[in-house]
Amino acid sequence: MSSATDGEHRPHVLLADDDEAITAQLAPLLERSGFTVEVVHDGGAALRGAMAVPGPDLVVLDVQMPVLDGREVLRRVRRSGSWLPVILLTQVGESAERAMALEEGADDYLNKPFDPYELTARLRAVLRRSGRGQPPLSASRTLRAGELRVDRTARRAWLRDQELVLTPKAGALLDYLVTHPDELLSRERLLEVLWGWETASTTRAVDNRIAELRRVLGDDPASPRWIDTVTGQGYRFIAPVKAGA
Amino acid sequence: MSGGIRRWLPVVAVLSAGGAAAAVTALLLGEVMVGVRFAPALGVAVLTAGAAGVAAAVVVVRRRTERLRAQVLEAARKEAKEEHRRFLRRLDHELKNPLTAIRLGVANLRAADLDEAARGTAARVDDQVLRMVRITRDLRKLAAIEDQPMERLPVPLAGLLEAAGEAAGELPDGDDRKITVTVPDVPWPLSQPPGDADLLELALHNLVANAVKYSGPGCSVALRAFEESAHVVVEVADTGQGIPADELPYVWDELVRGSEVRDIPGSGVGLALVQAVVARHGGECEIRSRPGAGTVVRMRLPLA
Repeated sequence: MSSATDGEHRPHVLLADDDEAITAQLAPLLERSGFTVEVVHDGGAALRGAMAVPGPDLVVLDVQMPVLDGREVLRRVRRSGSWLPVILLTQVGESAERAMALEEGADDYLNKPFDPYELTARLRAVLRRSGRGQPPLSASRTLRAGELRVDRTARRAWLRDQELVLTPKAGALLDYLVTHPDELLSRERLLEVLWGWETASTTRAVDNRIAELRRVLGDDPASPRWIDTVTGQGYRFIAPVKAGA
Repeated sequence: MSGGIRRWLPVVAVLSAGGAAAAVTALLLGEVMVGVRFAPALGVAVLTAGAAGVAAAVVVVRRRTERLRAQVLEAARKEAKEEHRRFLRRLDHELKNPLTAIRLGVANLRAADLDEAARGTAARVDDQVLRMVRITRDLRKLAAIEDQPMERLPVPLAGLLEAAGEAAGELPDGDDRKITVTVPDVPWPLSQPPGDADLLELALHNLVANAVKYSGPGCSVALRAFEESAHVVVEVADTGQGIPADELPYVWDELVRGSEVRDIPGSGVGLALVQAVVARHGGECEIRSRPGAGTVVRMRLPLA
């Protein structure tokens, strides 16, 4: 089992889920993967733990919890101005809930029942991004990648001064790509972003949307400026992304 | 009128069996009563207008009651379907946490220091959990198809069929099926029905995967599309094992698996997904099958 980070530091994860059947299994799994885990079972305790000083390096929040639900915890953490990385465990596969998770400032989300090692991979990716000492991209309303500007709240995008005409699905995909730059994103993962399900068999839908994005961005797949194909694995958004107008 | 009442009885029975509300049944009986009360009025019409007039009046009453019967049936069917969907969502919801906990537990077991036999057992448990995960995922997919916003753009079906044909060849066992794709482009290319290409691709993929799965080496799988009275018709046909006639009416239901194919893996949600996709496009599905000869599934998609 590879450790969470290089060196001695074990990242501190606050795990909030009211179902003890889950935390009793997930905590040791995360410990084994190189994290130090603190478990809480309701939203109130999750909020206190997230705001504590010194606080955790990352929070894994179940959406459905007593006292405060996970989304409300996330909202309050963000309202306090904290950039603390948060991964939501969503219960519902609805696109509205997924879109909201990212808009409200979650760094990532996973649908139950998730693949345990997919979760540890997401934890590492989120920690890698947050380790750069900048506000997380997911907390920013507007993002810039070179000549591309994305207004995440309005779901609009511009290339130089030209507004891009995108289907809603291509817009959702672009939003996920620019908030997860420099990360290898599997077709299955992107299919889940688009539709809330991942099936290994029909990921062509993802390829079609990527083709649409490349077309409007004028991106050449052979020498891409924005979206790189990782053969046999998925895609990677390669342009550096910055927060702000 | 007695003949009329006799014809009503089976309808009432169907509704009760379908679990429809008692109020619906009462409404239905009420309408019969109204019909009977109108009978004397019709009698007056007989005396004044003669035999031809009677026939016309009876036809009018019958049409009215038949229209009402259709409306009541439709409402009952809709209500039963909604209740069924709510149940599936609850089921999916209640299974999520236990399945997550089991997946995590099995991952912990497999990471522990086990002897070979225990390792094998853990691996097999993992396989079975994944099977259950796939079923709940497919049920969720079904709910998503029915609820989520859908695109309505012209769908290039010809391209989707070509792609599905190619994908069929890449499926397990797909390389020894004879796969053909036939789309007309003379005198004009196939029209593009408005809809969601992702969803139609999913439906096509499910049909093609079924055709490959339930047929043997050397069997033919044909994908074809054509236009017919303001619809595009898409068919996926195979020379596979076919479906017994008594199982055919139930193939569209969720979690139904054929009695002869229990050894072939599947979640039993595939055709329900296909039907949900086609229904969202305002179309219809149809299946014909002969055991030992093959199966053809037809999707009819309106062009406007």
